[in-house]
Amino acid sequence: MRGPVMKIEDIAVRYGDCWSIRSATITLEPGVIHAILGENGAGKSTLLKAAAGFAPRVAGTVRIEDGRGFGAQDAAGDPKPQAWTNAIGMVHQHFMLVSAFTALENLVLGSEPTGSFGRLDLAKARREAEALMETTGLRVNLDARTSDLAVGERQRLEILRVLYRGARAILLDEPTAVLSPLEAEELYTTLGALAEGGATIAVVTHRMDEVLRFAGHVTIMRRGRTVLSRPITADERDHPKRLEDELTRAIMGGEPPPEASPPALAEDAEVALSIEDLVLVDAAGKRVLDGLCLAVKKGEIVGIAGIEGNGQRELVRAVAGLEPGVAGSIVLGGARLPAVRSTEDLRKRRRAIAVVHEDRHADGLMLDATVGDNLVLGELGQIDGPAAEAALIKRRIDRFGVNPPDAARRAGELSGGNQQKVVVGRALDRIEASPERALVVLGQPTRGVDVGAAATIHGAIVAAAEKGLAVLVVSADLGELRRLAHRILVLHRGRIVTELPPTSSDDVIGRAMLGMEDA
Amino acid sequence: MSSIFSLTMLAESIRIAVPYTCAAIGGVWAERAGVIQIGLEGILLTGAFTAVAVTHATNSPTLGLVAAIAAGVALSLGHGQLTERARVHAVISGIALNLFALAATRMGLRALYDSASNSPGIEAYRFGPTGATGGAMLLRVLADPVFFLALAAVAATPFLLQRTRFGLRVRAAGENPVAAASVGIAVTRVRLTALAVSGAICALGGAHLAYDQQRFESGMSAGRGFIALAAVVVSGWRAGRAALACLAFGTLEALQIVLQDEVRKTAIGDLIQTLPYVATLLVLALAPRRAGAPEGLGKHAAD
Repeated sequence: MRGPVMKIEDIAVRYGDCWSIRSATITLEPGVIHAILGENGAGKSTLLKAAAGFAPRVAGTVRIEDGRGFGAQDAAGDPKPQAWTNAIGMVHQHFMLVSAFTALENLVLGSEPTGSFGRLDLAKARREAEALMETTGLRVNLDARTSDLAVGERQRLEILRVLYRGARAILLDEPTAVLSPLEAEELYTTLGALAEGGATIAVVTHRMDEVLRFAGHVTIMRRGRTVLSRPITADERDHPKRLEDELTRAIMGGEPPPEASPPALAEDAEVALSIEDLVLVDAAGKRVLDGLCLAVKKGEIVGIAGIEGNGQRELVRAVAGLEPGVAGSIVLGGARLPAVRSTEDLRKRRRAIAVVHEDRHADGLMLDATVGDNLVLGELGQIDGPAAEAALIKRRIDRFGVNPPDAARRAGELSGGNQQKVVVGRALDRIEASPERALVVLGQPTRGVDVGAAATIHGAIVAAAEKGLAVLVVSADLGELRRLAHRILVLHRGRIVTELPPTSSDDVIGRAMLGMEDA
Repeated sequence: MSSIFSLTMLAESIRIAVPYTCAAIGGVWAERAGVIQIGLEGILLTGAFTAVAVTHATNSPTLGLVAAIAAGVALSLGHGQLTERARVHAVISGIALNLFALAATRMGLRALYDSASNSPGIEAYRFGPTGATGGAMLLRVLADPVFFLALAAVAATPFLLQRTRFGLRVRAAGENPVAAASVGIAVTRVRLTALAVSGAICALGGAHLAYDQQRFESGMSAGRGFIALAAVVVSGWRAGRAALACLAFGTLEALQIVLQDEVRKTAIGDLIQTLPYVATLLVLALAPRRAGAPEGLGKHAAD
């Protein structure tokens, strides 16, 4: 059965007094993967939500033609009919799963098969789910508690649920942001097969290479408008460079920024950071850091690659002074860092080290506080009066292009990429002004950030290194590490297993990440 | 000591445990749906008063019971309207509910019976044998229709929550209301329905309390709703375990009554009375914190 043709015509969406979409027109046809690209806050996610019927539209129509005639939904089309919910499935960026439920319970939630007296018929659900997993190749352990599932599995569960509800249109919001490269590849293979089977598929993404490799149609959004929407031909896919330039220009509304490259490193640069035999045992008794050693010179950018969960988060936290149980030595500028015993110790460490944690929601932001407060978080008593504070906030907003540039907005209302700009901007801008500056440690500095903002962040990282700071970058984006780093260290099971030059291929780095000896 | 292991003791334990259990099961329904409910106390009290007032007026304990349940449902739905639609914080709304119940029942006593302390006696259910032997007492406790309904509620709750579509949706609304709404579940409606069930079962406990005393006394719920809430927390929001916790509490209270008779003349007589409360504190202090609490407790589908 073919999926519906979704015609979104000249819609506008507003949240409060902020226009999320000013004017968007797009037709989603079944059969190919539609990619939607754009900067952070350009309105991509909102476009998907509007198509799925979740966003408060103030103008325009969403028309769904599937031969059965759902017809049009005019402006402010609430409440959403159940048929709509079932026909169009959305996989949100933050999964809509109940973590205390089993996978099977989540799968059926909202369209449960029942016996007499509203009794759940989970046996029937299981049969249907098994059949669905068989045909799609998406496998999930149905009896596992959802919170125990890996991120990739949870995403497969979301997609299965959409299919289970009988949807023939699937809209995915940044599905690959949380996946490893291999999982992303599998996801696109599955989506491609579904599209070939006649489903309507739309994917919001930041990764240009995914668009060039997998998409059959691309739409670019900039500042709430669709500025480009056209098919991609097979011919273009074979020679992606011109297409890439065209798309990048459309995303940015101008020429793309130059790619960052690491600054020249003096031969005789002295070692700034030296970590010896770092060991950290977690609550479950697992050695999450297991004798980790590394050294970073002044002005050097060192990249850390590794599969998520191999000690990246703990390494960043240990250097930041947030892991009191850590053993081993961290030597910075010739002096061993003392254990952090008080907030004063922590402040002292923070004057020398800028830190960006990989999970901006858990460790980086107060989502209910304003953007301005978040931008000067931790500088209480160090800023000379409210006027200076306002100026500092404005400078950081301008420098990193936080959008919307409104210091009074709640941080939680920003798009993910803009939240990231706040966290990175705060850390980098602050350390540059500190007289004791020595080190920058960044966990996933550009996660979920668009091309333009990533270039700004990369520029600031390079600038920090040029000022003589040692820089440690942990990233899941190998392209980023390759562009930025002088050396790439591979982290596996809590220790550095290999050092590779940034010219190494994905394949070589990938094998090392898996801990293969011959890498 | 033989009095501790007697049928009298068993009968007393069960009799005392019923109001606690009803309130606790009511608490499980509300909180598994994601609504913080500290107003169980007020619903117990209102249930007790309504049961007595209607029984007194009509001479029918059954009508009294029905009225009590209706009052419980109404109060519980009122709490739901405030928390889910008007977005009043559930703790505030719960406190208001308790204060309202206390004041309204007092005013009712004044208006109907011109008394500040208690209502006149009523004829409640009388089934089972008369007599003061332990066996007779036990049979009377077990033959009580209110007890039977409470037992049915305890037995049905885990089944309804775990095995039915409604239960799945209640749990989804309590664990992650945003996710539940995203798959087309009307979270507010589900929560209000669960609250109606909660209010009905809790009011049942109030009626039991009043019928047991054959009259209404001002403030007769005496903190039972809060202790029931403690049982909910200790049980990890599970109906069966909450009922067991309430039974254990009833046993301690019965023990306290029996022991009091035996050691009346000694100095520890007064201390014995604190036994159930000390036990509650101990268990709460030792129980794992918030283990099993619904993740979406107090959260809303759209903010």
